[in-house]
Amino acid sequence: MTERDPELKILAPIETRPRLDRLERLVRRSGGGRMTRAEALGLGGLALLAAAGCGGKTSTGGGGGGASSSGATDPLAGKPMESNLVIYNWSQYDDPSTYKSFKTQNHVAIKETYYSSNDELLAKLQAGGTGYDIIVPSQNAVGELVQLGSLMKLDKALIPNASGVESSWVKTAYDPTGDYKVVKDFGVTMFFYNNKIVTEKPTTMKQFYDLLPKYGKVGRTNLMDGAEEVVPLALMALGLDPNTGDSADLDKAKNFLLSIRNGVTTIDSSNYINDASAGKIILGQGWNGDVRRIVSARKKQGDITAVLPQDTSEKWADNWCIPATAPDPVAAHAWINHLCDPTVAVKEMEYHNYPIPIQAALDQTPAELKNDPLFNVPTSYTDHYKFILNPSQEIVNARTQIYTAFQSA
Amino acid sequence: MATETIQPPKRSPRRRSFAPRYPGWLTAPSLIYYMIFFLGPLAILVVFSVATQAGFGSVSYTFSTSQFQALNDPLYIKVFRQTMLMAAGGTALTIAIGYPVAYWMSRYLTRYKTLALLLVIVPFWTSFLIRTYALKIILDPQGYLAHFVEWTGISNQFNVLYTGKAVAIGLAYNYLPLLILPVYASLERMDWKLVEAATDLGASPFKAFRQITLPLTLPGLITGALLVFIPMCGEYVIPQLLGGGQFAFVGTVIGSNFLGAQNWPFGSAMAIAFMVLLSIFVVIYIAFATREEQFGA
Repeated sequence: MTERDPELKILAPIETRPRLDRLERLVRRSGGGRMTRAEALGLGGLALLAAAGCGGKTSTGGGGGGASSSGATDPLAGKPMESNLVIYNWSQYDDPSTYKSFKTQNHVAIKETYYSSNDELLAKLQAGGTGYDIIVPSQNAVGELVQLGSLMKLDKALIPNASGVESSWVKTAYDPTGDYKVVKDFGVTMFFYNNKIVTEKPTTMKQFYDLLPKYGKVGRTNLMDGAEEVVPLALMALGLDPNTGDSADLDKAKNFLLSIRNGVTTIDSSNYINDASAGKIILGQGWNGDVRRIVSARKKQGDITAVLPQDTSEKWADNWCIPATAPDPVAAHAWINHLCDPTVAVKEMEYHNYPIPIQAALDQTPAELKNDPLFNVPTSYTDHYKFILNPSQEIVNARTQIYTAFQSA
Repeated sequence: MATETIQPPKRSPRRRSFAPRYPGWLTAPSLIYYMIFFLGPLAILVVFSVATQAGFGSVSYTFSTSQFQALNDPLYIKVFRQTMLMAAGGTALTIAIGYPVAYWMSRYLTRYKTLALLLVIVPFWTSFLIRTYALKIILDPQGYLAHFVEWTGISNQFNVLYTGKAVAIGLAYNYLPLLILPVYASLERMDWKLVEAATDLGASPFKAFRQITLPLTLPGLITGALLVFIPMCGEYVIPQLLGGGQFAFVGTVIGSNFLGAQNWPFGSAMAIAFMVLLSIFVVIYIAFATREEQFGA
């Protein structure tokens, strides 16, 4: 009898399992000492029986730590951790070791499914998709979901590690109160050119666009696709607000785009990394993480110059959010807290190569990441860069119409 | 033998064959499937197309023709026209390649006819997406075909990928079997003795083709042409991959309205309007298909 079977066999419907699991954790935590599942459940069962026998109203929560101090204002304080966590994420966006360490620390089973665009995420949520505890929308989708009331206000007391997030990334244009998200990672839109062919040295987005008609005849040029990229980026190049709904400004962007249309060979965001790495694109836009890969792929030839635009450009952020309908909110908060742990964040950054705005973690990243402006984009740039948002359906429709005109021109 | 008395019961099965009496309810599973999964989505599309938008991704169910009025814009008329022109170009290319192949298979192949037919269909067994990506490699300006063309001196700049030419090639390639098969069928049913008679009477081979073969296979040709033209109009992937995203097909615009803008009513209205437009071609198709039935057999 030295080895006891850790699996406890209880004759009960399978649906009651999460409840029993919760009971076990609750008893364990309040008991403090080490005990087996059998002992914990036995104790818990006795306590419940006693409570039922007395007929009194006993509170089952709040036995353990001092987390319940703010009880009345926060509905989650002192609630036990759920046994499941359902994540809806972009694929391959987190280091496998992150999941492992979270599971061992919190005894939570993780289930993850994937989407490939914010549109897909929004469509799923709007079609009544529930059951997700964690979603990872980009900035424009966060704004939309906040407007729709689909997000849960985060309980910062349950995410103590979030205090490490740089202050400029807490209250953002798309979440002015900073209550609905914790930034997962961020990036910028920039451009690159083949320095053996393009002899001018463009430094701003406007100069990039102005070179397109000349070099579109020489080789392949590329813009990022989608109405939400093409139109706001053109607005920014013209020095206008990317999120404007002003029809005169939108007309200006439309005319500007049509004037450079013959210089654009492709409009594509999914295949350009491979094509540019093979040296097929001579002038193109790209996201910094991708451009970093292109530059390293062309290191031998040394013919790609990457440019962080001087004046302004797009900055984007993917965010940890909890849907209002999340069935396991405590586990979801614990997940976000885990991801804000600097040691976890370092591993994450080494995995996905996008910066997480936590200085303590950035300091620990390897020098080749930390000192690379294409990874750790200096704040002197990002401070002037703007988020592209979806302020209203009318603006989104207007952008789509301009994009259609641009494509079909 | 009482042969005379047996005759009447013998006649009754013949009469029955004119009015088959199989139980009609046996078609119910198919009809239910058809109604739920074909007519159902179509009905939803119609409901969306007369609805209006109410904020992000939500729809208020009204009866409004505003979406169709918004379609009456030079921009969308241009998109419709461009799509149909590209599809017409693709169809012309498909006929130029497919008709000779079908003719050759039907007229000159005897032993390997079935094998040739199989080879025509074989590409259909591979994923459409993979075939289109493969075409991208072939058309690459730094690929083998480009090197070959430059080596032969036909052209020193092989610049096809991400142009309208690449889209037309992709369309023709992907829909070729759909044209070859009906043309081949009508050629198979044709009586070649008519062509022999024409040449015996002094017609040149070309004249015999123009006056005999072409008119007799025209219904099959038109059937095949429409069979490729209609799906080409709704193409979404080929213009994106081979045209580099710079060709706005109707399918592309519907996609960006449904997904990018979450404007379901407008996307639905566009789909319905285009469906009505294509129905005109379907009517032509049905007319020719029935004519071919009368002819062929």
